[in-house]
Amino acid sequence: MNLLTLLIFIPLLAGLVIAVMPSSLRGSFKYITLLTAVIQLVLSVLIYLNFKTGATHAGVVHEDQFQFVQKLPWIRLNLGGVGDLQIDYFVGIDGVSVTLLVMSALVMIVAVIASWEIKTNLKGYFILFLILDMAVFGVFSALDFFLFYLFYELMLLPLYFLIGMWGGPRREYASIKFFLYTLFGSVFMLLVMVGLYLSVKDPVTGNHTFNIIQMMNPANYDAGSVFSALSHQTILGMPARMVGFVVLFIAFAIKVPVVPLHTWLPDAHVEAPTPVSILLAGVLLKIGGYGIIRICAGIFPDAAVQSSYWLGLLGVISILYGALNALAQRDLKRLIAYSSVSHMGFVLLGIASFTAEGISGAIMQMVSHGFLSSMLFFLVGVVYTRVHDRDIYNFRGLATLMPSYTLFVVIAFFASLGLPGFSAFVAEAFSLAGAFKSANTNGLLPQWMAACGALGILLGAGYFLWTLQRMFFGTPLLKGGESWKLSLTDINWRERSALIPLAFMALLLGVMPSLVFNKINDSVLLLVDFTRQFIK
Amino acid sequence: MNELLPLIPGQLEDVLTSLRSFVPELCLSGLFLLVFLTDLIAGKQSAWLCRSLVSAGLLVVLFTDLQQVALVLREAKVLFGNTLILTRTAISFKLIIDFFAVFLALYVGLDRKLEQHPKGLGDLYTIITASLLGLHLMTMSFNLLMLFLSVEMVSLASYLLAAYRSESGFSAEAGLKYVLFGAVSSAVMLYGISLIYSLSGSLNYLGSNMLPGLAAANPVLAGLAVVLTLAGLGFKLSFTPMHFWAPDVYQGAPTPVTAYLSILPKASGFALLTNFLIPFLVYERWHAIDFRVLISVIAIASMIVGNFAAIWQKNIKRMLAYSSIGHTGFLLMAVTTFTAQGIRSLTFYIAAYAIANLAALMLVTYFSDETNAEDLEAYRGLGLKYPVAAVCFTISLISLTGLPATVGFNGKLLVFSSVYSIYQQNHSIWLLLLLITGALTTVVSLFYYIKVPLYLFIKKAEKVIEETEEGAAPSLLPIIIILSFLVILLGIFPDFLSFLL
Repeated sequence: MNLLTLLIFIPLLAGLVIAVMPSSLRGSFKYITLLTAVIQLVLSVLIYLNFKTGATHAGVVHEDQFQFVQKLPWIRLNLGGVGDLQIDYFVGIDGVSVTLLVMSALVMIVAVIASWEIKTNLKGYFILFLILDMAVFGVFSALDFFLFYLFYELMLLPLYFLIGMWGGPRREYASIKFFLYTLFGSVFMLLVMVGLYLSVKDPVTGNHTFNIIQMMNPANYDAGSVFSALSHQTILGMPARMVGFVVLFIAFAIKVPVVPLHTWLPDAHVEAPTPVSILLAGVLLKIGGYGIIRICAGIFPDAAVQSSYWLGLLGVISILYGALNALAQRDLKRLIAYSSVSHMGFVLLGIASFTAEGISGAIMQMVSHGFLSSMLFFLVGVVYTRVHDRDIYNFRGLATLMPSYTLFVVIAFFASLGLPGFSAFVAEAFSLAGAFKSANTNGLLPQWMAACGALGILLGAGYFLWTLQRMFFGTPLLKGGESWKLSLTDINWRERSALIPLAFMALLLGVMPSLVFNKINDSVLLLVDFTRQFIK
Repeated sequence: MNELLPLIPGQLEDVLTSLRSFVPELCLSGLFLLVFLTDLIAGKQSAWLCRSLVSAGLLVVLFTDLQQVALVLREAKVLFGNTLILTRTAISFKLIIDFFAVFLALYVGLDRKLEQHPKGLGDLYTIITASLLGLHLMTMSFNLLMLFLSVEMVSLASYLLAAYRSESGFSAEAGLKYVLFGAVSSAVMLYGISLIYSLSGSLNYLGSNMLPGLAAANPVLAGLAVVLTLAGLGFKLSFTPMHFWAPDVYQGAPTPVTAYLSILPKASGFALLTNFLIPFLVYERWHAIDFRVLISVIAIASMIVGNFAAIWQKNIKRMLAYSSIGHTGFLLMAVTTFTAQGIRSLTFYIAAYAIANLAALMLVTYFSDETNAEDLEAYRGLGLKYPVAAVCFTISLISLTGLPATVGFNGKLLVFSSVYSIYQQNHSIWLLLLLITGALTTVVSLFYYIKVPLYLFIKKAEKVIEETEEGAAPSLLPIIIILSFLVILLGIFPDFLSFLL
């Protein structure tokens, strides 16, 4: 049995088990889900440990270099004149995806632990959660565009219900907004996917194929097809490959989210229950970044390099705009949501530089942000479940009331603002280094972009420290008075068990970033090398 | 008179050989007589008897449909002196029609409101069987006279079905509207056909003077003749601008009849449309109208009108009616390709649409029978009370939206790729617009489809949900579950479906 396939479909199995269990056993659903997540973590760590490095295992554009591959013929539709529709069940990982898998598995566990606070419709909740779980791992592993799209879309519906049914007061608005935004991006992605499919032929079978890796090889494109690099076709007067790239980029940029396509995110986060916020920020945003690296830059490297200035610009705007918005928030969860926008901007900036440092930094930032944003949203959830309020100005002097909670908050805040010794520092430093270096080496990004990115770190320190000062320091003063004081007990062992691994990982990756870099290095180098030929 | 005599043996020979390729239709005729007589003899208690007869008989018809596949492996067969043509596509359409007719025959008896009708359901089964014969002829018609006859045969049956519950004012109104609009559009179509005949002196599509005659005639007049004929067809397919009757009739008719109207005549209408249009495209000297542009414009208009109008609807059946107009637009998109691949994607999409739409309408019946819920507002909180039905509703609507992993998504993918492959060849701006409209209206359609799960699951019930005494028919939900399962199964393994079509 292929480990990767097992990793993807275990949640589905658990979901089926829960579906057939009677509601009287509803107390056990969370344990089943937790067990599933733990098994997934074990599997993903196994995959991580057995993941081979070296230039011969770089993957990216070489199909034979992917690891843990499983490729089965899946759909063969005879379409008459144009041959068969060839869709494979094709999963495999390379350096770009392996660390994200481990990160996702750990975040899943934290999300399950946070799900203890869910009290209603447990059956539906955990089934949807597990479907989402499956889809996430599927997206990170799929190497067939059809399969990728299937998992990508499969995330939407569970998430819609998870926000809509268990969310806050404005959950209907937030969930439909999220759904429409993402679907808007992905239906146009579907059009590009179909276009790519009809342009690319499998050199072995001669059929059109959805194989992502084969879409990266210019030789596989039919002469005269829409997306062929040689035929210079246009769509509505614009170069077809650029149109394809932009459409795919918009789809993923909505997921990341990149300003100005980010407006769904604060609403979704604020209304979502804590575990869903954790998944959203920790894992789902990374799918955007992953998609930009794997799909946009992989399939349309020429267009990606050409538009790298704009990508970098959007990254910088996201960093600054997100940070400035975070400064202005009263709602703690909204603040953290905007900080996510800001931090994910570094991912885009790093990718746009098309340097080894920049892309490594981007992947590192995705992993690091996965842990840190999960931690931050979990911490917000702690206060919110206790007093159902998270307005920053309604709290003061929490450090006296909840000392260990405050300790974790301090760790999370300092780690997020880029204190050396934590993972975010390494990640942001590499992204910025890539952006700085780009001006001298490949000339894609001007240096002021990196400088503005650095300014974002400063703003980040501003809103995190200010929040710390407003909420945690000083004499205790709460809006809810004594009753709040009684409710605001310090964190319990369950919450600790979720926070400690996250804090540990943030610290560990800060001290030993090689844990990530060693695994991703070969793939990143290959990707940079692959894109370099398109830089004029 | 005498000079025709030598031709008679040849004609007879033709009829006799044609009969061999006409087995399903003969079976249907026999079934019709059988059901008719059973209804007459058994009287009021005949409903269940007729139902079993129709279902069993239709299974036989399905089997004979499948047998026909072997007849047309190499080439299409022309029957009865060029009036009918039997192609692989026609067989696919017939398979779709008969398959869903089985479900409809079962469904008719499971709708409480229809079941309690004082007239009984015996007549209904007779009408449906008779209309099936007409539907079969529609899929195969290759002659304008046959086109008109088969369309009228189906129309008359549809009028009767739509007005079956004539004692309810709404249903009677719907029936009357349908008859009036239908009669006018038939007249328009007949006018078009008579113009074509007067211009060319022939009614046969091929092997006659029809196309040369039309091409030689005044292009405005020839165009008018064809457009008038198309307008009559458009009424059956309910594409914009001939869609105005659909919402009222779909809402007013008994729900199983709505299911009938939104699936069967639509499917055979598309067969008729492709049969009618393809000769014009094959014939090089026809320049009066560019059908690809005309159909593209109609398709774009239907997708936009149908999907946007559906957003504002409060009644579920009305919403599904508008969405069905949108789906017609999407199907017309597959027609614009005029390729074998396009036609295959057309049949696939029709089958996908039919499964999901049938399940959705059955669920409308289910909720209406359980709690009298007809409007979105009444659906509040029902999802937690009827979780299985509500989940099935969500699945079928997701399939109608076209999200993976449902059969609707595969249909959408096939249509997109067949249009794309033509676009790749000719770079027609219309095809690109079609693709973009198709994608955009998908997002729009999500907006109203998702409202149903929104009310079912997310909105809280404001008052206690009142159940009806009788509840829905017990075997309705299992059928719905089977259909929903099919939606997912064919979503993951579309090969099973495309193998048949």
